[in-house]
Formats: sequence, C-alpha cells, structure tokens
Amino acid sequence: MNFRTSIVVAACAAALAAAPAWAQFKPTKPVELIVHTGPGGGADVLARFMAQVIEKENLAPVRFQVNNKSGGGGLTAMAYVVEKKGDTHAIAVFTGNWMTNPLVRKEAKYTIKDMSAVSRLVLEPALIAVKADSKFKTLKDLIDEAKKNPKTLKQSGGSLTSRDNVVRQLLMKVTGADWAYVSFKGGGERIAALLGGHVNLMVVEPQEAGEHIKGGNMRVIATVAEKRLAGFPNVPTLKEAGYDVPIVPQVRGIVMPPGVAPDVVAYYEDLFGRMTKTATWKKYLEDQQFEDGYMNAAELSKFFDVFSTQMRGILKEAGIKVIR
Amino acid sequence: MSGAVLAALGAFIVSEAWQWTYSSEEGPGPGFFPLWYGIVMVVLSLLLVAKSLLPSATARKGTDWTGVGRALGVWAAFAGSVALMNVLGFLTALALLTLFIVAVMYGRPLKVALAVAVGNAAGFYLVFGLGLQLNLPVGPLGF
Amino acid sequence: MEVFSGLIHGFAVALQPLNLFWCFVGVFLGTVIGVMPGLGPAATIAMLLPLTFNMPPTTAVIMLAGIYYGAKYGGSTTAILLNVPGESASVVTCLDGYQMARKGRGGAALGIAAISSFVAGTVGVIGLMLLAPPLAKFALSFSSPEYFALMSMGLAMVVLLAGDSLVKALLAMLLGLWLAGIGIDLFSDDSRFTFGISELLDGVDFVIVAIGVFALGEVLGNMEKRGEGTLLPVPKGLRNLLPTMAELKDCRFAFLNGSVIGFIIGVLPGAGSTIASFISYGLEKAVSKHPEKFGTGVPEGVAAPEGANNSETGGSLVPLLTLGIPGSATTAILLAAFILWGLRPGPLMIQDNPELFWGLVASMYVGNIMLLVLNLPLIPLFAQILKLREFILYPVIFGISVIGVYSVSGSLFDCGLLAGFGLLGYAMRRLDYPSAPLILGLVLGDAMESALRQSLMMSQGDLSILVSRPMSAGMLVLTVILLLLPLFRKVNVWRIKAIEENG
Repeated sequence: MNFRTSIVVAACAAALAAAPAWAQFKPTKPVELIVHTGPGGGADVLARFMAQVIEKENLAPVRFQVNNKSGGGGLTAMAYVVEKKGDTHAIAVFTGNWMTNPLVRKEAKYTIKDMSAVSRLVLEPALIAVKADSKFKTLKDLIDEAKKNPKTLKQSGGSLTSRDNVVRQLLMKVTGADWAYVSFKGGGERIAALLGGHVNLMVVEPQEAGEHIKGGNMRVIATVAEKRLAGFPNVPTLKEAGYDVPIVPQVRGIVMPPGVAPDVVAYYEDLFGRMTKTATWKKYLEDQQFEDGYMNAAELSKFFDVFSTQMRGILKEAGIKVIR
Repeated sequence: MSGAVLAALGAFIVSEAWQWTYSSEEGPGPGFFPLWYGIVMVVLSLLLVAKSLLPSATARKGTDWTGVGRALGVWAAFAGSVALMNVLGFLTALALLTLFIVAVMYGRPLKVALAVAVGNAAGFYLVFGLGLQLNLPVGPLGF
Repeated sequence: MEVFSGLIHGFAVALQPLNLFWCFVGVFLGTVIGVMPGLGPAATIAMLLPLTFNMPPTTAVIMLAGIYYGAKYGGSTTAILLNVPGESASVVTCLDGYQMARKGRGGAALGIAAISSFVAGTVGVIGLMLLAPPLAKFALSFSSPEYFALMSMGLAMVVLLAGDSLVKALLAMLLGLWLAGIGIDLFSDDSRFTFGISELLDGVDFVIVAIGVFALGEVLGNMEKRGEGTLLPVPKGLRNLLPTMAELKDCRFAFLNGSVIGFIIGVLPGAGSTIASFISYGLEKAVSKHPEKFGTGVPEGVAAPEGANNSETGGSLVPLLTLGIPGSATTAILLAAFILWGLRPGPLMIQDNPELFWGLVASMYVGNIMLLVLNLPLIPLFAQILKLREFILYPVIFGISVIGVYSVSGSLFDCGLLAGFGLLGYAMRRLDYPSAPLILGLVLGDAMESALRQSLMMSQGDLSILVSRPMSAGMLVLTVILLLLPLFRKVNVWRIKAIEENG
C-alpha cells in the first residue's frame, strides 16, 4: 500500500474503534444494584426480587448484584451513589427517605437531585388498622373519640418523620383531633404493640397486615391511597371516609449516579419499563399489594421537586426543623 | 486521673443534652436520658477523683512506663496500618504490621519477621480473599 | 396427641436425604460464620437467598435455620481461644471462656460450650414445639414498661460483674450507655453525638466495640512485656482437652438456667441473644456458691451464656412462626424469605403449612445433634491454635479483627473506630476498669431508653405505669433485690466477723 492509502486505512480503523462509543449502550459486566438497607429490609427485598425477575425474563445480558450500603439513615448509600459519578454499571433503589432525609439532616452531603433519575416503580399504599376486638368500627368512630378525649388514644409507628406520623399529623390538622404517638423501631414491634392492646391504632402496610386480618386479629378501617386496594375492596379511602388529606405516597424507584450519558440512562429506563410489563412483575405487585407507580425519567425528575416541596410543608407543620 | 477525664466527658454530655428537648408534647425528648446519665457520670467520676486524693489510698505500684510505651507503640502501628490500608491495600498493610511486631516488638531476626509477615498475608489472602470472596481494599500493586 | 403426630410427620420430612443434606450444609456454614468475627448469620442468610429459590420452601427454611443456630455454636470458638467474640452474643462467653483458656482449660471450655449449646438448643426446640401458641400470647402482653423493667434487671447485673470497684464498673456502664446513644434518635430524628460525621449517624456498631475493647485491648495489654513465645499452656492428651466430669457436674444448673432464660427472652421480640446471655450469666453468678470466682475461668460462666444464646434461637422462632412478627435482624430476613417464597407468615402459617413447621422443628433436633458431632471432635484441632507463638498469633488477631469489622460495613472509618476502641480497651485494662459493664451498657442502652420513652409516651408522662402493671412491677422489684445483693453479702460478712470477734 502506498502512504496515502495506509493513512486512510488507519483513519478508518480509528473511526471503527471509536464507533462503539456512539453505539447503543449495553452493560458488559455485572451491574451493581445499591440499596440503603441491610439484608431483609424493604428496599433490599425489592431489589433482590427485581434482580430475580431480570434474570428470569432475560431482560439484560448481565447479572444484577445487590450491594447493601446501609447506614446513616440512607445517607451512606446516597453518598456512595453520587460519588460513583460516571459509573455506568451502578444503579440504586431509592425510597421516599432519600427525598425526605436531606431536608432535615445537616449531615447529608447530597440530595436526590444530585443523582440521575431513571424511573419510579411502585407506590406503597397503607392501611389504618385497629385490633379486631376494638370498639372502633370506622375511622370516624376513632376520630370522634380522639376529639372527645384528646391524647388518650395511642398510635404505634416509626420515627416522627415517617409516613405513619405524616398521616397522623395531616389527619389531626384537618379534624382538630389529637392522639399520642409511640415510636417503635421495627414493624414487628409496632404490630405486637397493637395486637397486645398497648396502642389503639397504627398505619400498616397491606402485606404486613394481610395475614393478621385473615387470622382475625386485626381490623382495617381505612386505606391511605388514592383509590381502594384490590385486596381490600370494602375499606374506604381517607377521602371517601370524609377526610380530604393529601396522600403522600411511599415511593420506590431507580436512580443512577450523576455524570452518565443520556443513552445510558435511556437504556436502564427502557429495561425497567420492560420489566414492569412482565407478568412476573405484575403478579408481584398484586401479591405485595403495591400500586404501579411507573414514571419515566423525565416525569420522575419533576416528581422529585413536587414531592420535596410537599414534604417541606408537611414537616414544618409537624414542627420538624427543615434545613434545605 | 481517669476520674477527671470521665468527669469532663460527663460534663460534655450534660451540656449537649441541655440543648436538646428534654420533654416534648410527644414524650421524653432526646435530651432526657443523656441528661440523667451524664449527671450520674459526673457525680461518680468526681467521687473517683476524691477517693484517689484521700491519704488512705493504697500506694499505686510503680507504672511500668516502658511496657506502656511498647503497647502504645504497637497501637500506633496498628492505627497507622489501618490508615494505610486504603492506600497500600489490606494485605500489604497487614504484612507491614506483622513485620513491625515480629521484628521490633519481639526482636526476632529480620528473616523470621519477613517470613511470618508474608506467611500471614498469604494466609489471609487464601482464606478470606479466595476462600470467602471478601472484597478487601486493594493497593496500587493489586493486592 | 397432636404434637406427637405432628412430630412424627416432621421427622419423616426432616430425614429425607435432600433435607438432611441441606440441614448439614446449613449448620456447617453456620458454624464457620459463627467462628468468624463480624460476619453474622443475618448477612449470610441474605446472601444465600437466591440459592434457595430453586428449593422447596421446607428445605430452604431447614437450611437457613441451620445457619442461624449453627452460628451460635461457632461464635464461642474465637471467644474462648482468642477473646474475640465471633458473634455479638458470644461476648459474655469471652469473660470466663478466655480465662479458662489461659489456665490451660481451653479445650474443656470449648467442650462445655458445645455441650451446653446442644442441651439448650434442644430445649429451645422442645419449647418451640410444645409452647409456641401460648407463648405467643405471652409475648404480646409484654410491652414497653415490661421491656424497661427487663432491661433494668439486665443493667443491675453490673453489680454482679463489678469486681473490686463498683464505681468504676458503673462508670464503664455509663460510658456504654453513652456509646449506645450515638446516632439518630429514633423518636425525634435528631442526631445525637455525631459531631457532624455522617458515618456515625447509625451509631457505633456493637461488633466494633466488642472486638476492639476485648480482643485488641487484650493483645495490646500483652504487648507490654516482651514475651518468650508460647501463648498459653495446652495440655497434652485428649482427655485433658475435654471437660472433666467434675466440671460438667458444676454446670448442671447452668445448663438449665441457660436453656430456660434464653428461650423466654428469645420469645420476646426485640430482646436479643446478647441480653439473654448476660442475664443468664448474672443469674448463674448470683446463685453460685463461689461468685467471686466468676471472671477467672469457671465452667458455669461458659455454660450459662452459651446455653442462653442457643435456646434463644428456638425462642425467637416462636413469634416469627406463630404471629409473623420478627424479633431480631435474622428473623426479619427469614420473614422476608418466607414472603419471597410465596408463604404467608402470620397467625395462620402453622395451620396452613404444617409440614413446614414440623419439618423445621424435627430438623432442628437433627441439626443440633449434627452440630454436637461436628464440634466436639474439632476441639483438639482448634485448641492447637493456642500453641501458636505469640508473635504469629497477635498479628493474625489484628488481621481477623479488621476483616471482621470491614466485612460487615465495608468502611475504613469503622476500622479506624476499631483502633480507637482498641486503645480504649487497653486503657481500661491498665486502669482497672472492667469491660463487661461497658458492653452491657452498650447493648442495653438503646433498648432501655426506647422502652422508657415509649412507656412514658403511652402513659402521657405518668411514671406509675412502670409499677402499676404486674409483670413490670415484679421485674423492677427483682432489680432492686439484685442491686441490694452485695449489701446483703457485706452485712453477712460483718455479722460473721462480729460473731467471730465476740465469740
């Protein structure tokens, strides 16, 4: 070959070598699926299930490996994700916590807006439950009693910024009723407190409550969601029961580190979109009584803003200091 | 002497707890418990200080300062090796620490120290790195 | 009798080759995990979950349960030989177990631990089998005031762990309480004592403190003198490596104590095996004829806590299986596993899945036997570790400690904390502060504070709630008695002295 030809050949070779950078992104090694809880926690269970579905339905050419980064109330995982800037093989399961925590904690280094939104997946509704032999047959009974005798009724739940308390604050504000709140660390302890008769009501998740209701120990009097749940068709929503409070959803979805190319985000967005369409996923939602809260990346990004604003308002009302 | 340190800690705890809500509408606040045990801590540690100042206190056996120095030296080496783990990798840092302990603390000849250091690191690599597939920090050399 | 037929059915299930195999895998893995400090059954079970998706649920739960109670057997090994607690509940075993090893009775200590674990584990299973439903009701009646009283009883144990200076023991305990408080306050979401460091938001991990204070403190203490080489006397001959009949006889009450206390405390959601071991140890010391010898290496001091932490496993399965309520991190993952396998944990689970329940119960008997057979012959092997020269052993201990901490949190900050606690442990040894109360305070601090605040929230600030309920009042009375015990003893001593002087 003469000199000019060899230059052309070299140029073509270089172009071909560079081409993959413009081609569609596909993961080439196992993808890290980061969760902020330890093994067995809510996000962890969901992540493991998702990894299972992806593998079973052959939705991706590689494995998805769950990586537990618990600690700091979720902040450790968040920092880990943001510090993995540009990593195309790392995604994370976010929950409502990721949006709320940075609003109140000074130790938070990053907020959810520092990450790349991918998709929102599920909304977890909740139920208001009482002990089966309780004298409160409807939510109205309970609220009337709370109004008559303020601070005598007790609710078990998580921390003061958890959804349990948010629901309580909203209901108390709208009705003028007042009842006490007792925090317990784990779901198991909260249910035990209710079933043991030590508290009068709690906000519980459908899959936690299901078996207790069947077993005749628990009674559900209201649904914390926009519409009634398939598994509990006779239980009115808060609005139907006459209490028009905003439903602050408990969400879970996927985010990625910042600094990744749009086509990478698009890949994962598409992947999870396909996952939500599989029968296995739909059955899972049904079993767990989750609502399909699918949003794509753009919608999710907007949702972050809407949710944060809403939470700021609610937290301030509840008397919790908001710093961001 | 330790009494004074603990008294200071107790005072610190009390001062922090003072700033937090002692009791709120919802119940005892985060300041409640720490305040009480902080106070108890201050009282008890002052008691300790008082006791040691009494003339009837038994004479303390002379402290073996060389021994303390040795122990602290090892501790410093350990702390240093932990700090270096990110930079040099777990295995290298461990090997260095082992080397230090065997050669300096026990005064064994350098050859023996090196052998033990390498053996130790190798053992850990086999059992934990390969056997249990744990992710240990790696240094520039890849281990 | 229904129980009998259920059990027969259960054995038919448990003795199937597939289930036997996975039971063995489970207990073996459990033992290995238990020996390794830091890595615990909870994380292991979580990691192995994907493996279980292709198994029938009964087989899967047999294996996972095997890991759970197997880990309790393994935890005592490093506790006794190296003063490194392999599992949080093994901390108490360190107290007398390690001292026995120093006296050359390490093999015996390991043997006693294994036997006690077997006896208690079996009692735990029997309890699970016979008493599950009524105990579930009992567990529900236990609420925050009762927990507070229970924790107070536990803290009162410090009096029994005090040694020479009660003041120093109390101060150590208070230090533990403070450490327990570091982190996010559950109730108000405020962060306490975190100095703005986000790694401290979840508090200081118990494992880091335990390994640092016990193991590293011990090693640093030993570094003071330039040693000769061999660490501890290892008696020759198999007979000397196993417990003697006399030692076993001494432990008779301890076996019972450990089994019962561990099981009952296990049933209560939220109270863990560490608390069970402490209370069992304290009780053993309280009723012993030679309490002052505890802490120097008495067999009962090993048998009681080891038994307690094993029967606790059986106990903690009670609320899980009868109510679907998890009482600890490990049972929470088991709960998640049940859900993932499509089971519905709750009050109806046993009714709907009798084969699973009875198969599990039967497999636990089998598993405990397997563990005894596995562990006893390994004792001479493990005891050889003690023959290692000091300068080899100590770096290894350093390495294991770091791995133990790192494998749990993956954070070098935690390893730094480990170094800090090592220094603390050393300082405490030099200044004659007992370290057991520190651990006690750390373990109980969180739970006790939560229980107190919950109780006051329930009563709207009225303290009498703690004494108006029969069970909590009863336990508080016991606490007061415990606190006054040393006074009784002192009075007794004075009386005897007075009699002698006059007579």
